[in-house]
Amino acid sequence: MYSNVVVPRQWTRFACLCRSLTTIEGQKLPQTSKSSDGISPPPRIPRGPTDILQALAATVGNDPTAAHYKYHDDPYLIPLSNFRKRAYALSAEAGRKAAAWIRDEHAELFTTRVFDPPTKIKTPYSNADPKIEAFSPKPIYNDESKVTEDDLKYTIKNALLEDSMTVFKLLGGVGSVNEELKLQFLQLLCFYNEKEPDSLEWLEERWFSANMRERQAATWRLGGLADQIFESMDPKTPEAYCAMIQGMAKYYQAERAHNMAQEAISKGIPLSTSVYNALIGCIGFLKEGTALRIEALKSLLGQMNDQGMSPNNETLSACLRSLSAWGGGKVLQQMALQVVAEFKQIGIQPGLAAYYYLLCLFCKERGPRFDILSTIITELEKQESLDAKEPADTNFFITAMGVCSDHLQDINMAERLHAILMKGDNYKLVGDAYKESIYYRHYVTVACRHAPFEKTLELLDTLIPNVYVPEPTVMEEIIKTLEVGGAGDRLAQTWSQLVVFGHGKRVKLVERLLEAMINTYSGQEPEVQSKIRAAAADMLNFGQAVSEEQETKDVRTPVQKLSATAVCSIIELCSDTTDKADPNWKSVDEALRRLRREEAAGVPARPQALADVAQKAATIGLPGIAATAVTYLAECGFEEAMSASVQVLGTMLNRPVQEVETLLTEQHSSLAGSLHPAAQAVAEAYNIAKTGGPVLQDRERSSSSSDSDSESSSDDE
Amino acid sequence: MSLFMRNYKPNSLATVYNVKLWRLNSTTADSVMKKDDNEEEEFRVLDILKKKDRMQRRVVRRADIQPDRADRMALDQKWGNVWPGPKTFHPSSVPLPLRQGYVSKGQAPPGKKANAELMKIPNFLHLTPPVIKSQCEALKQFCTEWPSLLNSEEAIEKHYPVEIITSDYCHASPSIRNPLARVVTLRFKLSTLKLDKHSRDKFIRLVGERYDKETDLVTITADRCPVRVQNLDYVNYLLTACYHEAWNVEEWEKEKTEEDMEYYEWNNNASKKSLVNWFMRTKNEFKELSEDEYRSFDVSVIPNAEGYKDAVSSLMNDGESDETVRKYGDSVRKLLGLPEKKVV
Repeated sequence: MYSNVVVPRQWTRFACLCRSLTTIEGQKLPQTSKSSDGISPPPRIPRGPTDILQALAATVGNDPTAAHYKYHDDPYLIPLSNFRKRAYALSAEAGRKAAAWIRDEHAELFTTRVFDPPTKIKTPYSNADPKIEAFSPKPIYNDESKVTEDDLKYTIKNALLEDSMTVFKLLGGVGSVNEELKLQFLQLLCFYNEKEPDSLEWLEERWFSANMRERQAATWRLGGLADQIFESMDPKTPEAYCAMIQGMAKYYQAERAHNMAQEAISKGIPLSTSVYNALIGCIGFLKEGTALRIEALKSLLGQMNDQGMSPNNETLSACLRSLSAWGGGKVLQQMALQVVAEFKQIGIQPGLAAYYYLLCLFCKERGPRFDILSTIITELEKQESLDAKEPADTNFFITAMGVCSDHLQDINMAERLHAILMKGDNYKLVGDAYKESIYYRHYVTVACRHAPFEKTLELLDTLIPNVYVPEPTVMEEIIKTLEVGGAGDRLAQTWSQLVVFGHGKRVKLVERLLEAMINTYSGQEPEVQSKIRAAAADMLNFGQAVSEEQETKDVRTPVQKLSATAVCSIIELCSDTTDKADPNWKSVDEALRRLRREEAAGVPARPQALADVAQKAATIGLPGIAATAVTYLAECGFEEAMSASVQVLGTMLNRPVQEVETLLTEQHSSLAGSLHPAAQAVAEAYNIAKTGGPVLQDRERSSSSSDSDSESSSDDE
Repeated sequence: MSLFMRNYKPNSLATVYNVKLWRLNSTTADSVMKKDDNEEEEFRVLDILKKKDRMQRRVVRRADIQPDRADRMALDQKWGNVWPGPKTFHPSSVPLPLRQGYVSKGQAPPGKKANAELMKIPNFLHLTPPVIKSQCEALKQFCTEWPSLLNSEEAIEKHYPVEIITSDYCHASPSIRNPLARVVTLRFKLSTLKLDKHSRDKFIRLVGERYDKETDLVTITADRCPVRVQNLDYVNYLLTACYHEAWNVEEWEKEKTEEDMEYYEWNNNASKKSLVNWFMRTKNEFKELSEDEYRSFDVSVIPNAEGYKDAVSSLMNDGESDETVRKYGDSVRKLLGLPEKKVV
């Protein structure tokens, strides 16, 4: 198992030096990195257990071509749509959870110690050495478990709320637990409102969980275990009061919280700063009307002052939170600025959460433009690193980017903000998957609208698809930008991206893309043009595959069909070739058939394009396609059908237009036998267009089995 | 090679995305079905082994697979970001036209895709020179300066004569303990100990086969205690004990006779006696000398005797070889004043 490595002398000497270093470490030596006498090693530079790993990790930057490292680095396993990203990450975590379940349920399987001499021993404890608490089996508590106070301590320490409630009940409930432990338990209950918190262990679940905004309603459990415990406590310590008031305030039981606070104050019980912070946060539930609320806020702050409590960072953000929650308006904005200025005077700088509330207060979507963000960004740029202090901190970046995009519409500001987020390990402040996605939605949108084209492309390349998969609205924005920039090959790529990101079935997007392709098509290089043609043909195939899938499987939501205009665009793009053997003609044929089978919604917006296609097909020598196109035009009743059919027939028969017209006005039956089936179909179309109804409908067209593109000799009668 | 690589990756930074279409392959399916129709009309063959059916099983392929990310990589990217740690080779992440494996005649070695040979061998893609450089830079903050006087191998050996060799083991298991980590080896050059002739001889006898005459190294290994620290103490104890024991002279050591000698001591042997006798006879002195007088007789008065002494000692100690015999012959010729041996 272990290979013996012959250690050269020098290495071991070095090891020896290191060892003597460790012996020196114990003594207190002057901290210089130089050897004192030139022989003995200098004192060791103190470092933490993970410092080296962190230093090495700092040398690795990010790789725009790679997916997040939680995914497998393999083309088949790199997720490219939001759905897959979520599914893959959560699947991996489900595996971890299953393993943890086995570990907890069958802890006895992991007690063999393999390496301790002599060979294998069964031990009563887990085989890990050293024992890591996070990896060892968790105890399972049920109604039969024998528990002690240590179990209660353990569950409280690890915030296992439901387990701690079970243990508490097993211990005999309110009466038989000592006061100190009861207080700890009460604090736990108040903090979580008797609800099991999301485990810290499952990162992906937290990352993808969609707790967008907590409910702002009184969710505090009245008469719950916390209330019972509090009742039973005698004497009621200040800590117990603080825990109860904070718990009630946190879960918006504002009135009770305030009553209890008054009760405590009247009893002469001191309350902590965080209690006041919590109370400030729920003033809005107590009073109605801005003036009254501001009055209450002021009086609370005054009370704090009376009690000799000094405010802290959270006091500021609690004030601003309340102010921002009361709607907008000049008064509140003035008040907020006043509060910030006063806190600055006593040396308290607003944190990220405070900035977030300020942004909420000032930068309303349809309000006047306030440029407070630039000041905030300048302030943040000065800071070395940002720390997360309260949950609302994670809202700052998404809101700020939203302000950049919607309120200020300023790309420079957005770039500065993004630079702050990317600095150091500030990326932790992005929040969760949902917030991250919104953040990038804003960023990409503002970049598409206001950034220079080259820079936008660069940004798209770094972000998409590994960091961010654009939503349909953003995709539309991107398509618009590419269209304006005239990047034809990018547009061709966009189609494949649409498919991969799972937007291929969104008809609106596909139509938008087709429109952009048509608009940019003419100015492109031939190579790019062929790519665009291929993409267009592929759209048709994709639509076919989707509808086939719909037929075979029982798909609940019907797939929307491409509009006739879009199909026309495909035809127009695909027909731009002078080579008769080009496979794109097949796509043209297919698209035309679909049009005729009425598998496309509506009628084409530009029938002239179809007429042109018919003409071109006739010129090249594909009468079948030309005939189908003209027939379709005639059946739809477009005016262009008449002229188109005459021209097409003229090209087919190689005759001038007048001659063809006279030919067409002649007796139809005489034409029927002599004309090529395709030409005959065109003639029929002419009649449909002229009379508004088919004339030769009764005549079977069964003889025209050779009505295909393979027929080449068409211009002879 | 470099030219080939340049050709291999024509993408510039501006077009990071390869323009390859991530497309659906529905057209191929159609063509396959058409082919089946044609075959149906041919003369049917009895297919006992159902070979045809097996061949026709279509592999369902996913449509939304992106091309290798190696194709999208920029030319001036930092490779360390792409491949930050040791891992098994993966063709889609390595932008090199690698080939490896059995070469059948007239063919090139298999390419990098689905190549087990490339996955088997350990790769060092995570340790490219620039990466090593940047990692060294990152680790410099934890390094102290090397003591200035320890500038040569000799200086190190002089100031730190004792080596301790231990091994640490790293493995995937709930326990990080490994019993082999307890083994401690102590190693030093015998010449660095302060020993006289007797104690050196005794020390060598004490350590036995742990002394290597060729390299002058004494190696003491301890693995009898369960923990490394105990073994370390134990080897240090062994070294100390042996050293002090070597300096002790026991009563019985005086009874050492010529037969007990571990090497040939010319001064004590008949060869010197004969030489002295011969020398005195040439001087026409006829004296009877005692054993001790023979032993302490200073041979430097005899011309060329030193060479003779060395030659005899080396012949006896190092064994009989062409070299020693020739040296012996030469020294005897010199001693007796005979002419040099003529080389025929």
